[in-house]
Amino acid sequence: MHLHDPSSTSKPLRQTLPLTLLAVGLIVAAGISVVGVSTYYAVRPGSPSGPLTITDDLGRHVTVPLDPARVVVLGPSIMDSMDRLGLRSHVVGVDCYASTLGGLSADYSPNQIALWNLSSSMCVQTGPTFNVEQLLALGPQLVLAATIVSVAAVEQITQTYQIPVVMLQPATLTGVILDDQLLGEIFGASAASTSLVDTLELTLSQAASFQDNLTANGTPFPTVLVTYYADGSGYWTFGPGTFGQSLVELASGASISANATLSYPELSGEQVLAVDPQYLVYGTGFGLNESTYTGGPFWSQLSATQDGRAIGMDSNYFTEPDPTMILVGLPQLIGILHPGPSA
Amino acid sequence: MTGSAEPALLLRGVTVRFGERTALQDVDLEVPRGQFVALTGPNGSGKTTLLRAALGFLTPQAGSVQLFGNEVGRLSIAERARRVAWVPQEESPRENAPLLDYVLYGRYAHLGWLQGETARDREAAVRALRSVGLEERAGDGVLSVSGGEKQRAILARALAQEAPLVLLDEPTSHLDIAHQLDFLSRVRGLSRERGVTIVAALHDLNLAAQFSDRIVVLSRGRRVADGAPADVLSEELLARVWGVVADLRRDPRTGVPYLLPHQLVRPASSPPGTFLEKGPVHVVGGGGSGAPYLRALSEAGYRVTVGALHLLDSDLETAESLGALTAVEVPFAPIGDEVRERLRTLLEAATAIVVAPFPVGPSNLPNLEEVRRLLGRVPIFLIRRAPGTEWDFAGGKARAIEGELRDGGAREVVGVAEMLAALAATPVASTPQ
Amino acid sequence: MVTPPPRIARASGRRPWVLGLLLALLGVGVFFSPILGTVAVSPETVLKILLHQASGGTLFSDPCAGGSVPASGCAGLIEIVWDARLSEIMLAVVVGAGLGISGGTLQGVFRNPLADPFLLGISSGGTLGAAVVVVFRIGVSEQNLVLPLFAFVGAIGTGVVILIAARSRFGSVETLLLTGVALSSFLSAVLALLLLYSPTGSLQVDFWLLGNLGSLDWTQDGIAFGVVLVAGTLLATYGRELNLLQLGPDVAQSLGVDSRKVRVRLLLLASVTTAAAVAFTGIIGFVGLVSPHVVRRIAGSDYRIVLPGAALVGGGFLLAARDLSLIAFPGTLLPIGIFTSFAGAPFFAYLLFRRRGASTMGVP
Repeated sequence: MHLHDPSSTSKPLRQTLPLTLLAVGLIVAAGISVVGVSTYYAVRPGSPSGPLTITDDLGRHVTVPLDPARVVVLGPSIMDSMDRLGLRSHVVGVDCYASTLGGLSADYSPNQIALWNLSSSMCVQTGPTFNVEQLLALGPQLVLAATIVSVAAVEQITQTYQIPVVMLQPATLTGVILDDQLLGEIFGASAASTSLVDTLELTLSQAASFQDNLTANGTPFPTVLVTYYADGSGYWTFGPGTFGQSLVELASGASISANATLSYPELSGEQVLAVDPQYLVYGTGFGLNESTYTGGPFWSQLSATQDGRAIGMDSNYFTEPDPTMILVGLPQLIGILHPGPSA
Repeated sequence: MTGSAEPALLLRGVTVRFGERTALQDVDLEVPRGQFVALTGPNGSGKTTLLRAALGFLTPQAGSVQLFGNEVGRLSIAERARRVAWVPQEESPRENAPLLDYVLYGRYAHLGWLQGETARDREAAVRALRSVGLEERAGDGVLSVSGGEKQRAILARALAQEAPLVLLDEPTSHLDIAHQLDFLSRVRGLSRERGVTIVAALHDLNLAAQFSDRIVVLSRGRRVADGAPADVLSEELLARVWGVVADLRRDPRTGVPYLLPHQLVRPASSPPGTFLEKGPVHVVGGGGSGAPYLRALSEAGYRVTVGALHLLDSDLETAESLGALTAVEVPFAPIGDEVRERLRTLLEAATAIVVAPFPVGPSNLPNLEEVRRLLGRVPIFLIRRAPGTEWDFAGGKARAIEGELRDGGAREVVGVAEMLAALAATPVASTPQ
Repeated sequence: MVTPPPRIARASGRRPWVLGLLLALLGVGVFFSPILGTVAVSPETVLKILLHQASGGTLFSDPCAGGSVPASGCAGLIEIVWDARLSEIMLAVVVGAGLGISGGTLQGVFRNPLADPFLLGISSGGTLGAAVVVVFRIGVSEQNLVLPLFAFVGAIGTGVVILIAARSRFGSVETLLLTGVALSSFLSAVLALLLLYSPTGSLQVDFWLLGNLGSLDWTQDGIAFGVVLVAGTLLATYGRELNLLQLGPDVAQSLGVDSRKVRVRLLLLASVTTAAAVAFTGIIGFVGLVSPHVVRRIAGSDYRIVLPGAALVGGGFLLAARDLSLIAFPGTLLPIGIFTSFAGAPFFAYLLFRRRGASTMGVP
């Protein structure tokens, strides 16, 4: 029996299933690519045009139309500015990020819903998913984004549908002011924006001079814990680099979490009890109220609770970097920390 | 057969080591085309390693392995598959593929990329199934057939490979006796009728003897025996390599040798699994005289043989308990020719002879006579008899022979310790093959 | 002749015609899926829009006539149906197919019915790549291109690192798996550390981990499609080798398959396919695990059928997940990874318990 020589057999090569599939697949791929790409570019409008090119908070240069009539606003902080600038009528869509299955109540307080006249048909983002179809149905000419889940998804909007996206994510309170100036520029509402900016700057300077007085008199800043959530293990608060922290500093308070390592640290009951701050400020709204915090460790043993110096404030004042934080939140916090005759 | 003369499998000086352990040591093996070789040896002797080297699954540290004249290492994996097929010891397929598909896997080496199986391949598979008697079961799943049928299917797959050399590793280990016979007779048929070269690792020596043309015995990585079954199989081989005492018989119908194992060769006190390395030392004794020396030798690691003794002799009991090969005569009868022949065999196989202080009479005098024949050829030790005892009941002949032995170089030793010391000091000729 | 055991299991024969059936089903799914979306559009309008676009504008000059039109007008509706919806559907099919065929390959290479495309730590590597982009704000203006690129590199990189690291004990399946587990754990730890200091980054990465279709354009679809098609087709050609590998690497080698080389090639190709699939959509679980099993149940265990079949089933599965999610929760598109797990787990249990003696890769 001689060794089998594979090359000596002369049988016809039979086309097998994979080969056929390969051929079919390539044809289909070619077909789709040709049809899709050609029609896509045939019907496509031009790239975004507009008279204005601005630089947003992330350093992006965005070409925007002047005073667009239809705007989508992603983030309650921007809505606040838009409302105060008298631009509410331009807003056709908002984000409802925390409201997973529709509705607004997880993102906006009842006050805000009423004040800004919002309805769930305006939701462009529900849950963590960005609802592209809804965005397209609304047909906005500009998107202002503060709270976005996916920068990449939003970038895609600009590139695919030529809808400019301006990202307004201020890192400091000064940034808030600058953003309002930018909005005035975009919407040609310079009068309104100048007036708003002046008011904001006035409030800030008043707070600053109040602080200078205290320092000159040698009055120590009261120690304070601002907490936005509590459970059996501890109190969640604002660490360095957060707006909550900045607000406390501006209100001439000494935050006990000023030296924490994380931005949103959790302090244990022992830590809080050891420092025993003079004031406790707890965040309310969106289902959180005093009873959320009374369940925290050592709550009733803290001297602040015993002396009636545990006071609730709307959480938004600490978390949303907008004019309301400066115009409402800051004065309220100063009033809490420094009761009695003030500047 | 074609004109080409290269052997199907050629190993030259092959050494394989796994870390500290040497699995094969300087092994030579030449298997001509069309031969059925049974590869055998105790566990760990290197049979599987040899097969794996032939398949190219491992690279030897030294030596060369050739398939039909080509170095295995230089052949591509597909080329190897076209030359040698493998039937492993066991296989657990995970899919319940039909037997025909299972056998068709063997055609892989003959197909090109993306080439489907053609009619020719299917024919080869069906033919292979037919030759193992599974043609009707071609549609049944491989997980649903019995163990014997699965093993035959694997053989069919190897056949479908159309490789001129087939290696089998313990293919019948998990089969019942009927299937063992069936399987091996089919394998032999392949060799005889189709000229396929077969190398099969087999544990069962009797099956190997019955079906193969040639038996190669490995022990501790070396080839220690090689030849036709009738030439290779012996009681001595079994004792030496496997440490088993057996009787060798011959099948009256076929002339094929077969072995009936009795027991293991080891002293009672040694741990199971140790096999005696030294010797064999033949002890001539009787009447209880040989017992202490037998035990001492066994404890010291020598294999012992004994004879010739009569059936009711107490030394015989001792001998059997130690697993010694014996030459035995019926009680009270003089040592007959057959037993004498047997004694001679044992003596000639021995590396040393110890003559215990046994009472000698006419019926067991031939013991001494046979020992005398080996004077000068093998070290002989005489245990000194206690003075004053009467031991020669053969009319002085026993004394005379013992005197001859002493004069001719046999050493006299006193007691067990001196015997062992003398043995250890004596250069022993290498164990005869 | 020994009698076979009483419960004679039917052998799993090959049924290649099932592939044609699966392809047809997929086609039907693709045809009807554009009707479903977060914004309600009538089926007639959808059809008219599709034909209008496909014909380059020649058919149906006003496709929206007779139907309700949103604030952005007919142009907006066309964008919704043709650009957003259709590209999302195509992406679902491509990604599902890639995950399916990759999952089948890994189950074959590792001879393990619970293997999925992310076995070699590809998910950790891809997520870390995405996280780096997000946390360090790399390429903010082009993040829609930069993110998939980094995710792809991260995913592929992990696969390659594992293959290289396992070379020393070449070909050992256990080494590959253990290296994968070790690397995966390490990368997850790095990821956790990275995200600890960036809460917004953490938000975006969570989003990525849930798996999302949508908001892509045809170019990116095309890239995903191209890579998955090429790598996937190459994978499909190894069907026969995968069959033989099931017998064990030694037996396969004795039959002529270079087990080590083939294994490495398969793992590389599967890694590329998976990486391309998830780079654009994030991690979508279950598709790669379940699809090959579905094919085995209905068409036998021959990998020449299981691989292309798993691609078809995977594509259909992901598409069906999208459609079902829209039917169950109209107006919202859930992150698709949630839905595949949600729907996949009971389906998988159903597959396991509804045995009929056909092969389940030894799963009892």
